[in-house]
Amino acid sequence: MPGQQASSKPRSPGQEPPQPLQQLLTRPDIWQLASGQRHPRSGISTGYRGLDALLAGHGWPHAASTELLVDKAGIGEMSLLLPTLAELTRQGRMVILINPPHIPYAPALVQAGVQLEKLLILHPRGQRDQLWAAEQSLQSGVCGALIQWQNRETPADKDLRRLQVAARDGDCLHFHFRPGSCAQTPSPAALRLQLKSDGEQLALHLFKQLSGRSGQRVHLARNPDLVRRDQPLH
Amino acid sequence: MLWLCIQLPKLPLEALTRAHRASDGAAVAVAQNSLVIEANQTAAAQNVEPGLSIATACAYCTDLQLLERDPQREEQLLQQLAQWAYSFTPVVSPRSAEREQNQPDSNFACLYLEISGSLKAHHGLASLLQQLGKELRKMRIHHFMGLGHSPSAAHLLSQLPEHRQWLAEARTAPTPQQWRQWISFAPSKLLDCNHKAIAKLYACGIKRVSQLLAIPLSEVGGRFGRGFIDYLARLNGTRPDPVPSFEPPAEFHSELFFPSPLDNSEQLLFPAGRLVRELCRQLQRRQLYSQQLCWVLDYGSRGHQQVPVEISRPLLDPQRLIALTKLQFERVELKEPVQTLTLKCQQLRPIESHSLREDFFDEGSKLHESYQLIDKLKARLGHQALSGVTLKESYLPEQAWQSADSLTLQSKARGHQLTPVNAPRPNWLLPRPDRIQQRDHKLFYDGELQLLQGPERIDGYWWQHHRHARDYYIARGAHGSLYWVFQDLASEDWYLHGVYS
Repeated sequence: MPGQQASSKPRSPGQEPPQPLQQLLTRPDIWQLASGQRHPRSGISTGYRGLDALLAGHGWPHAASTELLVDKAGIGEMSLLLPTLAELTRQGRMVILINPPHIPYAPALVQAGVQLEKLLILHPRGQRDQLWAAEQSLQSGVCGALIQWQNRETPADKDLRRLQVAARDGDCLHFHFRPGSCAQTPSPAALRLQLKSDGEQLALHLFKQLSGRSGQRVHLARNPDLVRRDQPLH
Repeated sequence: MLWLCIQLPKLPLEALTRAHRASDGAAVAVAQNSLVIEANQTAAAQNVEPGLSIATACAYCTDLQLLERDPQREEQLLQQLAQWAYSFTPVVSPRSAEREQNQPDSNFACLYLEISGSLKAHHGLASLLQQLGKELRKMRIHHFMGLGHSPSAAHLLSQLPEHRQWLAEARTAPTPQQWRQWISFAPSKLLDCNHKAIAKLYACGIKRVSQLLAIPLSEVGGRFGRGFIDYLARLNGTRPDPVPSFEPPAEFHSELFFPSPLDNSEQLLFPAGRLVRELCRQLQRRQLYSQQLCWVLDYGSRGHQQVPVEISRPLLDPQRLIALTKLQFERVELKEPVQTLTLKCQQLRPIESHSLREDFFDEGSKLHESYQLIDKLKARLGHQALSGVTLKESYLPEQAWQSADSLTLQSKARGHQLTPVNAPRPNWLLPRPDRIQQRDHKLFYDGELQLLQGPERIDGYWWQHHRHARDYYIARGAHGSLYWVFQDLASEDWYLHGVYS
């Protein structure tokens, strides 16, 4: 990929631990078995209590990639992220969507509390431009969250690694929607979740979690306004 | 009044070769009517000088590159320089070169600048002259200067070596008496008149201007005409000396011509950098900025190509502008070798103080960084690859949103003026409704659809021809997906319009 090399910028001074070992241990891509007690709360709340409880940082892993493996659209996969996006945009941070599958519908986003002025949608042509745009945005330091949809081409392992590093450098939440078939191939993402539908609930399978347990499942109910049943009309 | 005359003796050459690197050592000469008009250093070192015939010049210097003089390009460069000078003082007057029949230029192109008003802003005469000289050298424009109480006097004195010597060390302007002394001391061949008149002066034994001034005016008028008397009076300062005033266009336009066209977009970066730096210097002094750099790659007779670079906010940092330009040039495939590179900025806007002030606050600098990111993304992905969304007031779901310029990110504290309807709306909207299969009163879209709730009747634009009357439902697909579907009441067809993702 052309463009800038990922530079490892120093973290903000408040976070910087004095010792190199400490510094290593705070990296989200280092797996520490007993980290549960050491970093009780470092993630960003998902807005769903049941899910927060399962996640090592009690929320989305901070400055790291999260992979969301989804095959079917419409099972609540975006709603899963909306509370976080709403919170970030309220704080004035930018949220970038790269190659969303359809038009992000403004009325629904506003209903969810997302500040539209902070939302940027990118449609890069081709895989190279897409990866470049994702890397630049992640490492820019001005982006609160970046959500990206995989197009037909599967990104190479080294590209995923670069995105993971860029998310770390830019202190950005990185969500990557990928097809369920990617579950078989390894990925450097800090968190991998498989999303399926279970009737009217969103079934999450915690596929992989750095510095935390994996394998758990959780079911999140969808908004009752949506699944409420009227008298059958048809 | 304090007039500065900047003479530009090598403009015919520079208009054609300014794009070259300084280290480029080829011998180049500009010719017109089979006479050499101007030669560069390398050529001059091999005895090629103005006035030689082309044949002689080529005999002196075998690998001489000859270029045809291009008066139009020269005039353009002069206008660009006037624009540059305008950033120093609001009173500028460019004067084109004048030629007489079969003679080398009798008068070089020059610029007149009235500088008495801008001395203070530039910390005095010496530092202003120094800055002017430095920037001209950076632009690779040969020049010499003269200072006078009127444009004619400045023009005359610029040719006087003693005066130029004084100017190099001057800190303050001399008194009018001193100027009169200099002028009268000057040789009469420096007078701004044609060769015939100067030959006549010499024939009369008038070698110094002082001798000319000693003759009664009526007599001078009888021999040389009224125009000449008028000129003397303007020179002396006894009559006003008006020059046409230059009014700069509210845009920037500068170009570089490549006598040997460039066939690689990477080669364009060096000349582009030069143009960007010229732009930034001028805009900074005039307190203007531009929201778009427009690069024009001219392929000569094969047309041209425009490469716009969008800039979201006041930005006068050449390094960043060059970086953005580079991103754009990387994407450009040259159709033909480039002959001329032009940088145009239309619609220069004044920099408002509040837009700069933002940067001093923490939030402002964060904002500034987001513009940097947006500019960078725009430069590489293209303007159309970036967008935002906003609400729009409409009954029709597909018109309840609109694509917004990504610049809406600027408005940091502006809330939504509109509030969306309260009914549950899908996160995804399909760009155009997708037809749903219908069989035996059942709907099929990726399996059988089950209607959960509805209908929500949306009946918009009944007063127009294209009436939209629809009943919207939330439907569940066979695999648990929730869809937003509607039945068109006119055709009774069913469509998928959104996804509750």
